[in-house]
Amino acid sequence: MGKEESPHVNRRTTRSSSSTTPNSKTVGEVSKIISNTQSLTVNDLVISDESISLEELINSFPHRRVQILELIKLLGPLNSPMIPLFVYGGASTGKTSTVLEIFKHLKRPFIYSSCITCYNPRILFESILNQLLLHRKNERNGYSSAKRCEKPSDFVNLLHDALSTFIDRLEGDLWKSNSKKSPSQVTGKMIYLIIDNLEHVREWDKSLNILPFLFNLYDILKMPEMGLIFISKTSLDTYHSDTGYAESLPVYFPDYTEDDLRKIFMKDQSNPKLYSSFLDVVLRPFYHTTRRVDDVTNAISPLYKKYCEPLDDTGITPDEDTKRKLFKHINPYISQFLKETFQVPSQPTLKASASKDKTRKKGITKPGFWESLDELDFHMSTCAKYLLISAFLASRNPATLDASLFDSTGGSGNRKRKRKSSEKSMEKKESKEQELLMKGPGTFPLERLLAIFQCISSVAEYSPGDEVPQIDGLGANGWDSGLMSDVLLQLSSLCSANFITKGGSCPLEGAIRYRSAVSEDMALKVARSLKFPLPKYLYSR
Amino acid sequence: MSAATVSSSPKITEKMARESPAEQAQVLVKSRICNPNFIFSIFSNPPDSNYSKLKYIISSSLTEACNNSVLLLGPRGCGKVAILELVLEDLLEEYPDMISVIKLNGLLHCDHNCALKEISRQLCQEHQLLFSKMASFDDNAQFMVSMLRECGLAHKTIIFVLDEFDLFAQGKQLFLYSLLDAMQSVTSQAVVIGISCRLDADQLLEKRVRSRFSHRKLLFLPPSREDTERLLEHILLLPTNSSFPHEYVTAFNVKLLKIFADYKFKEIVDTLSYSDSTVNHLQRFLFSTVSHMDLKSGLLSLENFKAALSTIQRQPKLEVLKDCSILELYILVCMKRLEAKEQELRNFNAIMKEYKSIHDTFQTSNYYARNVCLRAFEHLLQRELISFEDNRGHGQSAEFRPVKLLISRPELYQGLKSYPSCPVSSF
Repeated sequence: MGKEESPHVNRRTTRSSSSTTPNSKTVGEVSKIISNTQSLTVNDLVISDESISLEELINSFPHRRVQILELIKLLGPLNSPMIPLFVYGGASTGKTSTVLEIFKHLKRPFIYSSCITCYNPRILFESILNQLLLHRKNERNGYSSAKRCEKPSDFVNLLHDALSTFIDRLEGDLWKSNSKKSPSQVTGKMIYLIIDNLEHVREWDKSLNILPFLFNLYDILKMPEMGLIFISKTSLDTYHSDTGYAESLPVYFPDYTEDDLRKIFMKDQSNPKLYSSFLDVVLRPFYHTTRRVDDVTNAISPLYKKYCEPLDDTGITPDEDTKRKLFKHINPYISQFLKETFQVPSQPTLKASASKDKTRKKGITKPGFWESLDELDFHMSTCAKYLLISAFLASRNPATLDASLFDSTGGSGNRKRKRKSSEKSMEKKESKEQELLMKGPGTFPLERLLAIFQCISSVAEYSPGDEVPQIDGLGANGWDSGLMSDVLLQLSSLCSANFITKGGSCPLEGAIRYRSAVSEDMALKVARSLKFPLPKYLYSR
Repeated sequence: MSAATVSSSPKITEKMARESPAEQAQVLVKSRICNPNFIFSIFSNPPDSNYSKLKYIISSSLTEACNNSVLLLGPRGCGKVAILELVLEDLLEEYPDMISVIKLNGLLHCDHNCALKEISRQLCQEHQLLFSKMASFDDNAQFMVSMLRECGLAHKTIIFVLDEFDLFAQGKQLFLYSLLDAMQSVTSQAVVIGISCRLDADQLLEKRVRSRFSHRKLLFLPPSREDTERLLEHILLLPTNSSFPHEYVTAFNVKLLKIFADYKFKEIVDTLSYSDSTVNHLQRFLFSTVSHMDLKSGLLSLENFKAALSTIQRQPKLEVLKDCSILELYILVCMKRLEAKEQELRNFNAIMKEYKSIHDTFQTSNYYARNVCLRAFEHLLQRELISFEDNRGHGQSAEFRPVKLLISRPELYQGLKSYPSCPVSSF
């Protein structure tokens, strides 16, 4: 039973570790390899820890029966050549782990390289060759690869040689095992090359050369002993090419349905009845937002703890009454968790970490109405804060309004001025304004940023001993130059911290334009820490 | 039957003697499918075929000791390389010591430095010379010229096979120029054979290269209907004079011929060649068919062919649509509505606004928070149903960058219709 439970766990680690280790195939082997220093043998290209029967294989992947059987059929009986396969399907549908487990079941030698860790052609080529030549990076060889190869042409030659020696060795082994009856774990004389995460190749520098090359690799090599399997998150039609390339045989992994997800989550649960009643309540809303196993797992595992809170003993079988009680208990949390658990990885990390606390408490409501004041969780000089705010203002407000906003009174009395226009033009303006907001931050030249910076910093009050240079507004020449150098330094550090990004240069003026990358709540937070009345200066408010 | 299969099949059968004839048959047919030289060997007989034309061109330049060049053009998967290899195989048998073949591929050697190096390497290998990796471009070029001269003196023809010829024609074409120029200036004997899937490959050449290139072209086309049928029999029927049990071979072949005669099978072949009638496509189809063969009976059935057709012909966009969650579909519909409104700005914020208006007008059951939608939005980006309009603006966060939809309206409609338990389509 314990063995049957593990594949589920394995699967998750395989997937996540495929982004961290060069080849997840060797995850299990790494420890073994490091401990024994003797040279690798052909057997190391097979996952040989334990054998796994077809029944177990199918059971360990719920709702992957069709795909597993199809893949096994396509791989065929021993020593049958194979045209390249293209395994594709959405993220977290078990492509990699299924393929690897199938090879574990078949006990055939394979080479696995992922294009995430092998992030350029050279590393990909060398990783394949290293595995094929049974070479291991260690201290003695200075962690170098077996062969140095950068160009596809060298790679093809080296791969051809390596494959032929390897296949010779396989045949030799077969011969030996036949005569001596020594337990050889390798079966067959095919070697399979698995290239994972192929979609990443499209972002490589020379992807226009490398992709057709990889797709044509089988035809170029002309070695029927090599099987080629591509694994990709996107379908074949997303790989564009000028003159086309040899297409491969597609195998599709569909996303899991609700029932499949339930089956997956029900695996290895200590209290299946309780968990099933929990899933009854929880799974549907999450399933409507995403169908990815990893996302849903992350979302519901803390929820289950909440679900079990009112229970003294988590081992009980819930009756209708407890179920109702638990449902009442959990219901308010569901919608809250729905909002909170999906963090967006693409946003700048600093911003995310800064606003995380808030989203935890309130979710994203209308920005700008934070009542609970949170401190910034990182330190920044006052000068930099002012600079950040002025950058935000410059990005946010149209340049034509600067004069009226930052007049000598500090923009306190300019609100009434705008109320004269008719209803219709107001509406028009409103929609335009909204569009501007949706379009995101605009760009601005350095001069404008500095002007706004001077205006707002001259309005604010300073306590003595502040770290900003004293700004009087009417400053002398000596002060002016000091400010400029300091501010420019601050600006460049803000740029490198990704608070302000450098946009393209304006074709007419030629100067570099900047853009603020901070969100509104972040800017408001910074403003609050300075006690600066930012909302007053915002055009739309 | 080509030499390759003849030499490899006894080995296979010997090793697999203890396995069932069905598995043996599967392996045999699969190795046939994976060997293009075997597939195209049936096209080598008729006198007006590309095979005989090509053979005539090469052998005449061999016997007359002159230079020549020819282009083999045609879509991918029509057997340009395979036919050439068959011709070369034959010629190597006929004139054993008169030919040395140098093979280059545009995907690998389009850089002129790299190409010359590879030529030197193959020449060295062929003539048992020591190849230096450190040799410069100039060294390699001189080596090639002197080798051409030496071979010419020894009445030996060097055949340069340039696969993906159009890729050599990129950039300055320095390699093509130096190769063709070397052929002209000395008493050399060489044949340059370019293979390309671009029919205008000769138009890509510079003037100085074009003037040194003879404009012989051979056009390769996908097989006709009759040829396809011949191919099917050629590939699938088991040989009668082999190690298989006789009864099995007869049963297998009789069943297969019966299927071939069936009009349903003809329909399948028609649908197959309707989308793509090249041999490569057929090859994939047959591979899938043979993989689906029932190993117990050991016979192919019509169902196998049907199953293979469905695995070959896929509609990836619809599949992906079926995989989307309901929220992701919402976002797609919002995108489509924005497009229908011809609104200029289409980024995440605009989608959210549209989503809110849909929610307000149709009173949908759930309204998801902004960051949940952003997550779904990113999933869609990953699935490549939508994509950013430009690759610039990496500094900007995803919410502001304009996006475009990668599926058409009917596709989306069809996807929504086939979606199980799709809520009200506000489309």
